[in-house]
Amino acid sequence: MRKMVVPLAILLLLAAPWIVSDPFFVHLMIMVLMWTVLGASWNILGGFTGQVSFGHATFLGAGAYTTMILYLKLGIAPWYGIPIGGLAAALIALPIGVICFRLRGPYFALSTLAVAEIVRLVALNWESLTNGPVGLLITTLPDVTFRGWMIDWENKTPFYYIIAVLALGAIAATYKMSRTRLGAYLLAIREDIDSAEAIGINTVQARVAALALSAFFAGVAGGFYAMYFRYIDPDAVFSIALSVEMVFIAVVGGLTTIVGPLIGAVVLVTFGETFRQILLVGHLILYGIAMMLAIRYMPEGIWGKLRLWLGTRY
Amino acid sequence: METFIQSMVSGLLTGSLYSMIGVGLTVIFGVMRIINMAHGDMVMLGMYGAFLSVAFLKIDPFVSILVWFPIAFLLGAFIYRFLLKKIVPGGELNTLLYTAGLSLFIANLVLFVGTGDYRTIKLKYAIMPLRPFGIAVPIPLAIAFGMAILITIVLYWFLVRTDTGRAIRATSQEPEAASLMGVNVDRTAIVTFALGTALAAGAGVLLAPSLYLYPTVGEILVAKCFVIVVLGGLGSVPGAIAGGLLLGVVESLGAVYVSVPYKDAIGFVMFLLVLLFRPSGLFGVGKS
Repeated sequence: MRKMVVPLAILLLLAAPWIVSDPFFVHLMIMVLMWTVLGASWNILGGFTGQVSFGHATFLGAGAYTTMILYLKLGIAPWYGIPIGGLAAALIALPIGVICFRLRGPYFALSTLAVAEIVRLVALNWESLTNGPVGLLITTLPDVTFRGWMIDWENKTPFYYIIAVLALGAIAATYKMSRTRLGAYLLAIREDIDSAEAIGINTVQARVAALALSAFFAGVAGGFYAMYFRYIDPDAVFSIALSVEMVFIAVVGGLTTIVGPLIGAVVLVTFGETFRQILLVGHLILYGIAMMLAIRYMPEGIWGKLRLWLGTRY
Repeated sequence: METFIQSMVSGLLTGSLYSMIGVGLTVIFGVMRIINMAHGDMVMLGMYGAFLSVAFLKIDPFVSILVWFPIAFLLGAFIYRFLLKKIVPGGELNTLLYTAGLSLFIANLVLFVGTGDYRTIKLKYAIMPLRPFGIAVPIPLAIAFGMAILITIVLYWFLVRTDTGRAIRATSQEPEAASLMGVNVDRTAIVTFALGTALAAGAGVLLAPSLYLYPTVGEILVAKCFVIVVLGGLGSVPGAIAGGLLLGVVESLGAVYVSVPYKDAIGFVMFLLVLLFRPSGLFGVGKS
């Protein structure tokens, strides 16, 4: 029975747009899955490695701008641009990691905040590349035929499948990573960085590797964001609030768990988007309350608690 | 030369308010090891307080600080006593995440209750700047500067001369030893958080006539607060005062001599450099 859970969940994920085809629900599921990728990205660094970052919007923004600029300037279609955006984000994570990982704990968190603000200001002012505060806009996506079907980009379903694959990829990568030697190093770093150093782990290298992997998924999600919303500007994709939302999804869902970010995204995004539909503004009130409640009463997160009851490690 | 003096002066004027915000953050960190991500939102609440006083009660914003300072003090005491107290023993990262939640909650509550519009406060006496020695000094900023200096002096006197002030400094140096010497550490923590909040909100009231106000202004301000306290050394009050003035001057000189769009980035670059090479602050007095 237990072996069937994962295939069944994947089947349900792929069948979902046929079960409920209401555009709002499809949009909601797309948002949930996009935030799953972002939460999973943050979880790799903040959960498995124990390094709290308040600047992950940097990587989301880097991916979004890469995808968008490649398409608008060079005509490279977003489905190539999305993985390239992830790679670009991973690439800029390397120098950021080398600089910021000289710091620990809250100081690391503050340094990522500063880096993110610097990157936002650069994006805002480098007008020849980013178009500055005006932002970038895609009017039409290129035509694609898939097995004789013309993909209809006005419909949300194709986007759903793209993000579903990305979310599965992020969760699978988290699982794989947690079972490699790197995963073991990261846990050692999280538990006690000095001891990890003492037993011969190159902690800077391991943390930079974790950051690059984490940045890759944030960048991929950013590329998807650009393609789905078709409009980005520096304040939309590089904002501090976005970085903070990623933290919340991961923490409320359950840090250092495989499934946690999905649960966090399901709970927070569902409530948040519903709230937004009804009252238009202020849906982040809920995120703030959820975060405070989680830290106070359930620091292991929703899934962290649930998985104990269900008796699973994931 | 005149441009240089002009930008030094306006840098120091803004810097005095940065100092006030920074001192609030640094005493909170010093005593309780709380990195308060909601500090910028306290400034924002102060700004809205000033706005409401002008819009509805027709009270001058600089007079309204007499009302908002005590209210913010009580709000701070309430937040610490009922929300943060249980979190603090969980460590710095937990309080960091918790106050980030609090910050998002406060900012979006204001967004929800009010609107996201940019607002300004117009004062009748603020149309023409003063021009002593040919240097333009905006009147609201000059008044704010004077009041910030006054408040900082009173605060200094409070920290150095009164028993509560001594208790705050003692707890900040060594909480265990302080409690052995008969300092009520719990009460000191509440007073400190309340005081830090009141300073932030007070600075917000003073800043309101000189800035645009909108619900998420705290985001940018909190990032600046951290620059200020890290420049001066986390936990150091003189450090935060110097850090605030320094940031004000650097921003204002940067806007003139480097570039206007990147003036905010200069502060953050300085911040990273100080964190990396002088983690105890430029004056070597902080604790990290």
